[in-house]
Amino acid sequence: MSASSASVRFIEEPKIGFLERMYIPAIMEGLSITVGHIFKPQVKTEQYPEQEPELPPNYRGVHRLNRDTNDRVKCVACYMCATACPAHCIDIVAAPAPAEWKDREKYPETFVIDELRCIYCGMCEEACPVDAIELTTLYDLTGLSREQMIFDKEKLLSVFDQTTKPDPHRGNKITDPVRTRSGLLGPAAELPTVK
Amino acid sequence: MTDFNIVYTLALIVVAFGAVMTTVGYLTLAERKISAYVQDRIGPDRAGPFGLLQPLADGIKMFFKEDSTPKHVDKIFFFLAPGIGVATALLAFSIVPFGPSSPPPGPVSVDAGRPLELAITTHEAEMKAYQEHTTFAIAPGLDIGILFSFAIGSLVVYGIILGGWSANNKYALLGSLRSSAQIISYEIPLGMSILGLILFTGSLNLEVILDYQIKHGWFILYQPLAFLLFLVSVYAECNRLPFDLPEAEQELVGGFHTEFGSMKLGLLLMVDYIHMITTSFFMAILFFGGWHLPFGLTNFDGITGLVIKVAVLGFKTFIFLMLYMLVRWTIPRFKFDQLMGLAWQVMIPLAIINLVTVMVIREFKLTPWILTATSLVTFFAAATISTRDNPAANKKRVVVRKPEPVTT
Amino acid sequence: MATVYVNDKPVDIGNERLNCVQAAEKGGIHIPHYCYHPDLTVVASCRMCLVEMGDLKDGKVAITPKVFPGCQTPVKDGTVIVTGDYAKRDTSLPVLGYPDNYKPGDRAKKAQADTLEGLLINHPLDCPVCDKAGECKLQDYSFQYGRSQSRMIDEKNTPPNKPEISSKITLFTDRCIMCTRCVRFTREVSGQAELSVVSRGHHSEIDVFPGEPLENKLAGNVVDLCPVGALGSKDFLYKQRVWYLKTEDSVCAGCSTGCSISADSNKDVIFRLRPRPNPQAQGYFMCDEGRHGYHYVNAAERLNRPHVRKDGKLAPIAYTDAVKAVSDEFKDAIKKNAASVWLVLSPFLTVEEAFLAAKWLKESSKQVKLALGPVPFVGEDDTYPKDRRGKALQPVRFTIRAEKCPNRRGVEEVLRTLQGDVITFPKVIEAIKKGDAKAVFLAGGYPVKGSFDVFSEVKAENLLLAVSDFFTSPATELAKYVFPAAAFSEKEGTYLNHANLAQTLHKVSHAPQETRQEGQLFQDLAHRRGLFNLAAVRKELAKEVPFFGKLADQVPELGVKLV
Repeated sequence: MSASSASVRFIEEPKIGFLERMYIPAIMEGLSITVGHIFKPQVKTEQYPEQEPELPPNYRGVHRLNRDTNDRVKCVACYMCATACPAHCIDIVAAPAPAEWKDREKYPETFVIDELRCIYCGMCEEACPVDAIELTTLYDLTGLSREQMIFDKEKLLSVFDQTTKPDPHRGNKITDPVRTRSGLLGPAAELPTVK
Repeated sequence: MTDFNIVYTLALIVVAFGAVMTTVGYLTLAERKISAYVQDRIGPDRAGPFGLLQPLADGIKMFFKEDSTPKHVDKIFFFLAPGIGVATALLAFSIVPFGPSSPPPGPVSVDAGRPLELAITTHEAEMKAYQEHTTFAIAPGLDIGILFSFAIGSLVVYGIILGGWSANNKYALLGSLRSSAQIISYEIPLGMSILGLILFTGSLNLEVILDYQIKHGWFILYQPLAFLLFLVSVYAECNRLPFDLPEAEQELVGGFHTEFGSMKLGLLLMVDYIHMITTSFFMAILFFGGWHLPFGLTNFDGITGLVIKVAVLGFKTFIFLMLYMLVRWTIPRFKFDQLMGLAWQVMIPLAIINLVTVMVIREFKLTPWILTATSLVTFFAAATISTRDNPAANKKRVVVRKPEPVTT
Repeated sequence: MATVYVNDKPVDIGNERLNCVQAAEKGGIHIPHYCYHPDLTVVASCRMCLVEMGDLKDGKVAITPKVFPGCQTPVKDGTVIVTGDYAKRDTSLPVLGYPDNYKPGDRAKKAQADTLEGLLINHPLDCPVCDKAGECKLQDYSFQYGRSQSRMIDEKNTPPNKPEISSKITLFTDRCIMCTRCVRFTREVSGQAELSVVSRGHHSEIDVFPGEPLENKLAGNVVDLCPVGALGSKDFLYKQRVWYLKTEDSVCAGCSTGCSISADSNKDVIFRLRPRPNPQAQGYFMCDEGRHGYHYVNAAERLNRPHVRKDGKLAPIAYTDAVKAVSDEFKDAIKKNAASVWLVLSPFLTVEEAFLAAKWLKESSKQVKLALGPVPFVGEDDTYPKDRRGKALQPVRFTIRAEKCPNRRGVEEVLRTLQGDVITFPKVIEAIKKGDAKAVFLAGGYPVKGSFDVFSEVKAENLLLAVSDFFTSPATELAKYVFPAAAFSEKEGTYLNHANLAQTLHKVSHAPQETRQEGQLFQDLAHRRGLFNLAAVRKELAKEVPFFGKLADQVPELGVKLV
């Protein structure tokens, strides 16, 4: 969309006056600002390891795979996240669901996210039709090797367990309660809401 | 020539060297802290209370980092460059009187109709007294004084050129070339700005210049324009912002020290800070009366007097060091053509005008206060000339399209 | 000459007897449909192809005030068809003389939307887990013609899945839209009629008779026929989402019918083969043998680098070194006694490869003997439809050939031209046993194991044997040099089927590791520079082997008949 000429405001280049041209007054003015900051600091620095940052609930940190009410993985291995992922960091191997899972046809045999490749854009979360993948507020992800940063299904489920229980490291808070539709399982086919 | 006490001189060297190095260390901390405060940050605060041990940590880090030497460098000069830089910078400090001083006696004078013997005896007595008083300079009474300092100080450029050239890296070479061009250009206004002072005092000896100011008032009063030129020139000489083109990160990676690491890099960075300390002392001594305060505020004798005088000089120097750091975060970097234009088109003409006026005043034995007025007049005249409408410059400016009438 | 008007576009249909869908297709206009299939009988049960129709007389259109199923309604000269897509017509054409109060396309559009809403009443919205998603007609048409929200407030019908209907096919009963394509296929093409519709109304389901699963050799086609995800191939189930697949045209190498196929691969792994309609080759379908016969391409135990025998054991060797050694050794052998040098060309090679291989040795000496490799035969030609007792019926709709190789005809033609006659494989074995053959190059590429089992009886001293094949076999046990072979999906070339139809193979995936396609191998052995270039080799082939003269030009997508 190009801007219409009516919405464009033309601004004249400011004229440099005699005082500015002499430099010295201008420099003095600049110095007064610089010195002013020294004596009136407006420091907003957070002392990170001692002081935990306050993160918004929609912060995009480490992924988790949600569990349903029967503690099974909610994911139905539809590959929507892998398709939406711009970094191609999600690798899923689908398989027919175990026979005792009556309500499911397909489930992820493996579900691997390369947390190093991930750009934390949250597209996977948006693409997921069953709200199985979510980004948590865990921001301090570290590891000693590349292999450690490749999260498999168990690890991603453990992130769910960690973030939905009171976390002793973060003031016994539940850092990321399940925020999407219920904890109930619906393999995509949810009944339409009656109006 | 006076004989000198080798033990005393050595002790002084050790003390001065230690003091300078410690100051350099804490200048780096001050630099980081001040830049942090200016930018509303906290700055280093992890090593010791308020980060006071940070310089120590930095030093240890510098020493223990892997000293890698790239394959393609010219090994001899690559190792020599940081040494030359630091050595020359430190040498320049040797004539700086960093405490109270008295001028050395002049030559034996007989013109007052005194008998020669008396003149000689008096001179010898004066000389004895001069030698026995406590000196705060490593090489006191050096008659070429300030000339020596400038000559040695300019040699720093060797360290930079050698470093840049031996690194065999185009960024380093560009940085060092810029540096040499810049330092050579600013040598001229730097030297010429203090010629007026030398004409007044008739000596290159810093102690004599200081003595003159104590008797006749600080030179800042008579030579404000010269001070301004000197100030700008030393900023350029120290490669400090707004004149830090030799190491302009955005264009040249690290400039002349791109390929250096570990303590070699540390030494190269130290050069700038040593220079800053030396030049701050010069500004305090040449234009602000050194240890002297007006209205007899420093007229004390004995140990108390020494302490107060050293403290006063130290304070003045400290103010200039702080000014260095504040200016860094106030004025953005010049372009290279602006840098050269400022030296050759503005500062050198102004310095010549200033020198000529001083010569006229001295020739006609007029009161030096006239100089204050002429300095100001010269400055404003220069400003007026530069602010006049320059048709050639206007032609080059991009013509902004006139706003069309807005119809709604 | 008859002219039909589809959305104002005049379409010349000649003297053909067509229905609306076919006539519109001819004019480049697609009428959506589910149950209609060009090779099956028309039942007009899905009602997706509803169109408005009329007659053009004296510049005036007489529109019939109802909608017709397009698949069932024949067209004649002057028929006017208005589809639901009338709004997307080519507006540069003059508008026909419709009645004044008639809004073209509105009724058909409404009818299609209503049909879709009806179909979606019971269809589950489990697209995320459905393998058809991405190539599903119901998805596509719902997007184009349907409504975005369901008005259905009752619970959907969810009959249980029937994975037991076949060992290769599973039925997701709830996804079925009752187009009965699969039922008609088993009745008309395969003939045994395993599938049928049970129950009535919206409880009707596809099912098999108890104890009689869907196990005929053409059963896999019902998966392709299914417009939704109701019938799924167990071989492909949940392996890949279809939008990841890269589709290339290819030719089935399973038998000498040479079915045109589309091969779907992702990241150099083939995931499925589907028939590509080709009336010259096989029609619309393919057999399960061919459909599932690609697994050897992905097999882990495939040879994937050249080997040389050192101290009695095969050791890996660099491709260039192997080529140099083999080239030199065969040169020496020809120098010593050219008549004792044999080149065996398998019927799995493409025409171009056979040609390049024959040229390599024949150019050194005319005395070198060229032979045809073993030609696998299994049983007899299997024709469909069959009745429930397994007796073949006429007319024949589909034939599975007994000759289980794609290119015997092509290789034979090359040999006939370059040598005069075709030496069969038993003679090669005989010559080896007698010691007449001192140097043999066995260009294999047999996906079927056991083709070279005859070598287990051969004991030959001082035999220089070079083999190119997929797997280790008695022949590789005896060989001094072993090259990995490239599968049909890994090379470019031409297959000539039983009826002299030349079809082009396209490269679907890359050969594993150090494998080069045989065309490249023979080119390198003959010290011809550069990469294998299909067009260039074809030009040369067409010049030297007159039988393949037609290959010099662009070969059409559906192949070219050489006789």
